[in-house]
Amino acid sequence: MSGTINRRSFLKMMGWGGVGTALSGCDVPTTVTLEEGKEEVVSYLMPEEYVIPGIGVWYASVCTQCAANCGTHGRVREGRVLKLEGNPDSSINNSKICMMGQAGVQGHYNPDRITSPMLRKNGNLVSASWDEAMAAIAQKVTTSSGDKTAWFTGTLSGHQLALLNNHLEAIGSTKHYSHEVINTTVSQAVNTDMFGEAMPRYRIDKAKLILSFGADFLGAWMSPVHFAGEYAKFRTQKQRGMLVQVEPKMTLTGGNADLWIPSRPGTEGLIALGIANSLTTENGVDASKLPESVQALIQQNTVESVAKSTGVSAERIKKIASLLKQKSPSLVIAGSPVEGQSNGYNAVAAIMMLNHLLGNVGQTVESSGEFPYEQLKSKQGNTKDLLAFVEDAKAKNLDAVFFYASNPAYTAPDALDINAALKNIPLKVAITQFPDETTLQADVVLPASSFLEDWGTHIAAYQPEQQVLGMQQPLMEKINKDTKGFGDILLGLLQQVKKDEYGQYADYYAYLRHAFASMPSELKGGATTEDQAWNKALQKGVVSISSDNKSLNDEVAEFALPTPADAGSGQYYLMPSPRLGLWDGRHANLPWLQEAPDQISKVVWDSWAEIHPSTAAKLGIESGNIIKVKSDNGEVALKAILIRGIHPDVISIPLGQGHTEYGRYAKGLGINPLKIVSPSIEAKTGEMAMFATRVSISKTDMKDVIVKLGSSDTQMGRKFVVTVPVEQVKRTEGA
Amino acid sequence: MAVNINKILILFSVVFFSVTIFAGEVFPPGGEHEGKNVEQPIEFPHNIHVKDNKINCMYCHTYARRSKVAGIPPTSKCMGCHKIIATDKPRIQKLTEYWEKKQSPKWKKVHDVPDFVHFTHERHLKKFVFDRDFPVENVKEVCAFCHGDVENMTVAHKVKPLNMGWCKSCHEANGGPGDCWKCHK
Repeated sequence: MSGTINRRSFLKMMGWGGVGTALSGCDVPTTVTLEEGKEEVVSYLMPEEYVIPGIGVWYASVCTQCAANCGTHGRVREGRVLKLEGNPDSSINNSKICMMGQAGVQGHYNPDRITSPMLRKNGNLVSASWDEAMAAIAQKVTTSSGDKTAWFTGTLSGHQLALLNNHLEAIGSTKHYSHEVINTTVSQAVNTDMFGEAMPRYRIDKAKLILSFGADFLGAWMSPVHFAGEYAKFRTQKQRGMLVQVEPKMTLTGGNADLWIPSRPGTEGLIALGIANSLTTENGVDASKLPESVQALIQQNTVESVAKSTGVSAERIKKIASLLKQKSPSLVIAGSPVEGQSNGYNAVAAIMMLNHLLGNVGQTVESSGEFPYEQLKSKQGNTKDLLAFVEDAKAKNLDAVFFYASNPAYTAPDALDINAALKNIPLKVAITQFPDETTLQADVVLPASSFLEDWGTHIAAYQPEQQVLGMQQPLMEKINKDTKGFGDILLGLLQQVKKDEYGQYADYYAYLRHAFASMPSELKGGATTEDQAWNKALQKGVVSISSDNKSLNDEVAEFALPTPADAGSGQYYLMPSPRLGLWDGRHANLPWLQEAPDQISKVVWDSWAEIHPSTAAKLGIESGNIIKVKSDNGEVALKAILIRGIHPDVISIPLGQGHTEYGRYAKGLGINPLKIVSPSIEAKTGEMAMFATRVSISKTDMKDVIVKLGSSDTQMGRKFVVTVPVEQVKRTEGA
Repeated sequence: MAVNINKILILFSVVFFSVTIFAGEVFPPGGEHEGKNVEQPIEFPHNIHVKDNKINCMYCHTYARRSKVAGIPPTSKCMGCHKIIATDKPRIQKLTEYWEKKQSPKWKKVHDVPDFVHFTHERHLKKFVFDRDFPVENVKEVCAFCHGDVENMTVAHKVKPLNMGWCKSCHEANGGPGDCWKCHK
C-alpha cells in the first residue's frame, strides 16, 4: 500500500473491493512468511551432543547493566541467547532480575552496535582494521607515557580492573578516573566515619520500621533487586514492616511508603536532628554515648525550630520519632537527594547517626566483612573524578585517554564545557558498543563485545550476604565478528607495552584460566582438577568467598550542622531524578526500557518536568504546557506534568533522555537535565552536588500531548479500590 | 430421589465406559491443501528412504519426540550413511560437496506455522504414539496426519492446510486442549 492512504480512504477501498483490493498492493516481506519454499531452514552441520533444536539450555553469567552485578541465567537456543533470568545461586539477587537486566538482550542485539574499529582521518571516523587501530594507539601510548595517559571508566571490578591497573602501571601512570552519576560516594564517606565501613549491610528484612531519606532502594540505589527481595520479607513479617520515606520527589520506594513526607532539598539533615531531639527529649532515648558536639546539635535543633526551618510539621516529626522508638530495630538510610547537596556529608551523617542513637548498629546495619582480594575489589565511580578529568584535560595534562563504560560527554553539565576539554586530548580511545556522545568525539574507536559475549569476573561493590565473585561467560558467539571483549582489548594493550609478561596469553580467557588456577583451593569447592574447578565455577556463576568477620564501629563521628546552601539563583530546586530503567542514560537505547512507563508519572518515551499542582497554579501552568526551566548554566524547554508526589519548591526532570547521539532509539528524544546542573561541590567529599541547582520556571504558550499509561491519578469515583475509615471498621468489626 | 441417583450413576458409568473404550481411538484431521512444488537445493527423495528402505521418520527427524521442532537432520547424519551408500548418485555427490565445504544445504521451509503459534511435535507424538502404545515403527501414519503421505513424495509437499480452523477441528475431535493460550502463548 502506498504511504499516503489514510484510515478513511482505506475503509472506503475495503468497501469497494474487499480484502483482495486492500491487500493486493502490499509488500509482503519475503523472509517472514508461511508460504512454502520462501523461508530457509538450515540444519546443524554436526551438532554438539546436548543440543536439541527448540529446547533452551541455561547458562550462568553476570549482569553488567548496572553496578549491582546480579547473577544471571541466560537461555540459549540454537546458539542464540533469548532470555535472562536471575541466578538462584547468587546471593546478590537470589534468582530475581530487574527490567534493566531483562533488557540486556536488546543491547546485545541492538542494530546500532559498532561492528568494526574506526579511526579518525581528516576529521571523520572511518572503518579500520584492528591492526591499524592498535598501531595508532601504540604510537602514542608507550612505557614512558606516564601520567599523561589515563583511563576513564565507570565502576569496574574483578580481573578486568586488575588488568587495567597493570596497564596503568606498565605505562607509568596513576590516572584512572572512575565516573558514575548515580553513586553513593557521600554515604560511603559518612559510613566509613560512622561505622568504620564504607558499605555495611543494610538489613531491610530485619527492620520493623524503615526511615528512608530519599534512598530509592527499590529503584536506583546500590543493589535494587536484592533490596526488593528483602523488602518483600520486611512487608510480610508477622508485624508488617512500616516504611516512612522523606524526599523531595516521590521515587518508586516513596510510592510504596506508608507515610510519605515531601522535604525541601537540603533540609533532610535538619529533619533527622529534629527527630533525634524528639527521641531524646520526649521518648527517653539515651544520647549520652554521642560526642558532645553532636549532643549539642541535637539540643539546639528542637522539633519546633526544625519544623519552622524545614516546613515539615512538628507533629509529623514527633510522630516519626515515636514510631522509631516503638518499632525497634529500625533502619535509617539516606539517598541521592540528600547526598547531592553542598551539605551532603553533614546531612547524611545526621541521618546515619540515628542508627547509633536507636541501637540499630549490629541489628539492621551489619558489617559486610573484609573482602580478601584487594586488587579485585570494585572501584566505584563518582563525580569528583569527572571534575578532576575535565580540569586535567583543560590544562592539557592528558595526551591519551581510554574511555570505557562511561559517557562523560553526555553526563557532564554544560558548565564544565567537556567538549572543549576533550578537544585538548590528542588521542581519545573509546572502547564501546554504541556510537554515543563520547565515542563520536574519539580518535580511535574499538568495538566492544556485549556482556553476553564476553568473559569477566565481577565483585559487586555492595555485597549483601556471603561475599561472591561473579563469573561472566559468553552465552553465545559474537554477533559481530570484529568486536572484542574488554578483557581481550586490555590484554592487547598490555601486550603492546609488556610483551614479555603478557605475550603468553592467547586471549583473555587464557588469562582468566591462569588467574583462576592461582586462586586458593578453598575457593574451588573441593574440586579435584583445575578443569573441574573452573567448570564448577562457570556452572554456578558465582564463587563464594569467605570474608573475615568484622564488627562495626560503635562510636559516632562528629559532624557539623547540615545547613542547606543553594547553588545558583532561582526560586526552585532542580531534581535530575534517576530511576530504575534508563538509569543515568546508558539504557536510553533500549526500547523496552523506553516503553516501560516511569514508575510514578507513567510517561513513556519522553522527557517531562514534574511540578506540584499548587506551584503550577501559581505559575498558570497546566499539564502538557511547555515550560522553560532555567538555571545559571543553561535552559531547557519541556512539557510539564502536575504531580502531587513532589515538594512545591521542587521541579523534577528524569534522567536518561536528551541524547544527541547514541543510536536510533535514543537520539533526539527528550532533554538531558544534567546539562543545566550547576556544578557546586559537596564540601567534605568534593563530589558534585547534583541536586542543589536552583532554577526558575517560565511558561510558554505551547502545549504538547503527554504520552502516558493511565490518564488519571484518581479513580474518578469508580471505586476500584474501596476504602473504609478506621473508625467505621472499629465500630462494625469490633477490632 | 433414589431413582435420580441411579440415573446419575448410570450416566456416569456410560460416560466412563465410553471414554475407556475410545481412549485408544483417534480421528485424523481432514482437509486438503494444494501445496506448491518447492525446489530444494538437493531433491531429497523421501520415498527412497521411507518406502523402499523402511527408515523410520524419527531416525532422521530425531528431535520430534523431544522438542517442539522435528528438526532437519544434521548433515553429519546424512553423511553417516552416504559416505558409503549410493556415492555414485549425483544427489549424493552434491551432498558430499556441501559436507566437504563444511556447509549445510539451505533447505526451503515447507511446513510452517506463524511465530505466534506455539506448536510442539513432542506433545503430539506423546498423545498419538507413546501414550497410546502405538507401534513406533508405524509412526509415519501419525506423521501423515499433518504432513500427508510423505513416503510417496520426493521432496516434502504441503498437503494439509495447517491453519487454525484445521488445528481446532482436530483438537475438538480428539479432545485436545481448547484454551487460546495453549497455542498462543
